[in-house]
Amino acid sequence: MEKIRDFFKTFLLFELLKGMALTGRYMFARKITVQFPEEKTPQGFRFRGLHAQRRYANGEERCIGCKLCEAVCPALAIKIEVAEREDGTRRTTQYDIDLTKCIFCGFCEESCPVDAIVETRIFEYHGENRSDLYYTKPMLLAIGDKNETQIAKDRAADAKYR
Amino acid sequence: MIKIEIDGKLVETERGSTVMDAAHKAGVYIPHFCYHKKLSIAANCRMCLVEVEKVPKPLPACATPASDGMKVHTHSELAAKAQKGVMEFLLINHPLDCPICDQGGECQLQDIAVGYGGGVSRYTEEKRVVMSKSVGELISTNEMTRCIQCTRCVRFGQEIAGVMELGMANRSEHSEIMSFVNSTVDSELSGNMIDLCPVGALTSKPFRYTARSWELSRRKSVSPHDGLGAPLAIHIKNNKVARVVPVENEDINECWISDKDRFSYEGLNSAQRLTKPMLKQDGKWLEVEWATALEYVANGLHQISGSAGAEQIAALATPHSTLEELYLLQKLLRGMGSGNIDTRTRLSDFSADGKQAGAPWLGMPIAEINQCDRFLIVGSFLRKDHPLLAQRIRQAVKNGGEANLVHSSDDDLLMPVANKAIVVPSEILNVLAQVLKALAEEKQATLSADVQQAIGKVNVADSARAIAHSLADGKHAAVLLGNFAQQHPQASQISVICEQIAFLSNAKFGYLGEAANSVGAYLADAVPFAGDGHGMNAAEMLAKPRKAYLLLNVEPELDMHDAQQAMSAMRSADMVVALSAYKHHATEYADVLLPIAPFTETSGTFINTEGRAQSFKGAVKPLGEARPAWKVLRVLGNLMDVSGFDYDSSEAVRDEALDTAQMASKLNNHISGVPLQLNSAATVADLQRVSDVPIYYADAVVRRADSLQKTHDAASPCIILHGNELQKLGVQCGDLVTVKQGDASVSLAVAMDDRLPQGVARVAAGHQATSTLGAMFGTITVERA
Repeated sequence: MEKIRDFFKTFLLFELLKGMALTGRYMFARKITVQFPEEKTPQGFRFRGLHAQRRYANGEERCIGCKLCEAVCPALAIKIEVAEREDGTRRTTQYDIDLTKCIFCGFCEESCPVDAIVETRIFEYHGENRSDLYYTKPMLLAIGDKNETQIAKDRAADAKYR
Repeated sequence: MIKIEIDGKLVETERGSTVMDAAHKAGVYIPHFCYHKKLSIAANCRMCLVEVEKVPKPLPACATPASDGMKVHTHSELAAKAQKGVMEFLLINHPLDCPICDQGGECQLQDIAVGYGGGVSRYTEEKRVVMSKSVGELISTNEMTRCIQCTRCVRFGQEIAGVMELGMANRSEHSEIMSFVNSTVDSELSGNMIDLCPVGALTSKPFRYTARSWELSRRKSVSPHDGLGAPLAIHIKNNKVARVVPVENEDINECWISDKDRFSYEGLNSAQRLTKPMLKQDGKWLEVEWATALEYVANGLHQISGSAGAEQIAALATPHSTLEELYLLQKLLRGMGSGNIDTRTRLSDFSADGKQAGAPWLGMPIAEINQCDRFLIVGSFLRKDHPLLAQRIRQAVKNGGEANLVHSSDDDLLMPVANKAIVVPSEILNVLAQVLKALAEEKQATLSADVQQAIGKVNVADSARAIAHSLADGKHAAVLLGNFAQQHPQASQISVICEQIAFLSNAKFGYLGEAANSVGAYLADAVPFAGDGHGMNAAEMLAKPRKAYLLLNVEPELDMHDAQQAMSAMRSADMVVALSAYKHHATEYADVLLPIAPFTETSGTFINTEGRAQSFKGAVKPLGEARPAWKVLRVLGNLMDVSGFDYDSSEAVRDEALDTAQMASKLNNHISGVPLQLNSAATVADLQRVSDVPIYYADAVVRRADSLQKTHDAASPCIILHGNELQKLGVQCGDLVTVKQGDASVSLAVAMDDRLPQGVARVAAGHQATSTLGAMFGTITVERA
């Protein structure tokens, strides 16, 4: 019985027609292709893109150099050196993220006790050689300064889930 | 013994011990902050609350005596609830600044809060803030808000360091740990408070913000400083020593280390480190390759030994060098045909050379000090020269012992001293003779004829009789000779007479070893009378200047007994080769500087004052082109065509140098064949110099440790006189005076100390400011500037 059914299915191109039906359905369905870069897909407030370092409203950098992000980073992409600043506070003298190593897991952001290191919505960045993707503290702070409004909005949206 | 049940485990414990002790025996951990095994019980943190059956309320385990049949539950509902409540109270005023706290990651409060505390804080009111204060250059007290008032630091000061430099002021919420108004913490053991502090209130100032605890890798090492040889844990970050903490060894350091051991690491990262071999050509220093430098040295030594004879070559090393280095140095010298090698750079009396039955040592294991009940300490700046041995003696005295002191200076030992005789250096021998005579009378013992004859005419003073009585009274006495006694121009006489005193009072007789490898130097044969016995000692080498000097770690102007003589010998030499980790004063007179690795960068062995050989490995890579000295000497041996220099590890050198099975028999303080001769009672009109080597100038590494150099103990030396001497001179404290010794004079400030005997001028040695003066002992003249 099974053999007879198989014979007719093959003989009448049943599988082929089944496949073509799926293709045909999509031919007339709404397209989801986005014309990048003119068009963009929507992003969630937890999007994990390029990193940024934030400042407080008074312009003071947030990072206190606790090195928790360095410790938690599974890709060992973060390198931090710390020293005492003249005013006696603990500050980083070096804060580098090697984006060629980074796997964008977001652990750094999660571990940060002062919300200093964050991942922004930026994902369109490039480097022409490897060293361009080695982000230093001034670069990260600059990204933070430029995008602070969006970053703050995203953190506020996420706050009730934390 | 009583039986007590803890969490269902039955343990036997001694009557009178506490529940905490029993829990340790049972292997049950009870959380605690204020309890520490070496300190008295305060029971003020309440963290160790446990439930005891038939007791309605939880009890503090640290302060509850164990009783027979007691049943204790450390994790029951009641105990856990009590612990959680205590934790919540402790955290009410503790700031949530773990991310910037140096203690973060190795903090008892963090650990216990996670293990025994609640998940969230219910406290939303304002927290207490304690203003930061300064207590010196070693301990950071910037965040006293973190303090949980366990008072471990206070108890440490009172009980271990012997001086209460931190105390708790005010009451309840306002209570604060602080020093006395405007004073700093100056104890030579102060760094231990950093280890004791269970939170981040007392942290290390030099280490501040340099690393987090999880970034450090830990290597074991041994202290290269005083004779104790404390085992250390070297913490490393990025191939650099970041800090040093103690390793516990009940037989050596218990759980403490001195500040010298703890903070000297800064000297290892000093800017003065020598990183490339250097050659002087036409008065200019050139950086050269190792091969060039070593060939230059080998050629120079070949020439000198060929033209003037090998005995024109001399080698000096500090006893802070490792056993391997010293062994190879003496082997090199003896291989070349010269016996001129010495490590006893600060000694002046060598008349007992070859008459000792073995290497001078402590005469007993270090731990035995605690069992002694009578001490005679001869010529020692005990606290500064041997901080942890002093601590042990302090504990013994506290347990009913008596300390007696014969010395030329009466510095506060921070322990009760029963009897003391503080006399000018030339009188020390006579005082000891008095003690011996009084002791012989008290014990009704007969002394050998020559000793009897020597001390026959001595008049026994009351102080000496009191000392003798104290010694005779004890069951376990110890006669200990300090650095000052060993450096004394009559050191061998002092040794002979002390041995007699020890014999009569049935006491242990020992030397407090000056440096980490003082004993090792003897066992490595790095003394002139070893081998075939034809060699010059440290004093002769300088008195009869040689043509070539090899200096291993030695800075002649700071490390030698007679700095003046040492410098003139160096300047007149044809060739001076300085093996040193630092670019030091040798640039003036040396021809070659060879960069060698300090103790953290080389493997080696130190034999401490109790004769314990402790080997260690390099903790970090040598800086720049510095190399371990044993490798340098090994290659030099090959270049000089001395046979038997084909070692491929420092262990091979050690095994050749040291026969561990024979070691114990080589430690012997007995001296025979040194006739006793007392001074004639001639009074000296001039002042007699008394020299201490200040604790933070004692060796090359510690001299360059920045933070230690900012402490009071490292203040620039002044000349200290008795008040009457000041009057005679007509000067006031703080005035500048001209101090003359030999053909040099320096200008020093005057200080007054009425505890010094009259006729004494105390001028520290080992410091640049006094390095042009002559011998550490001798007469000195003071004039108004």
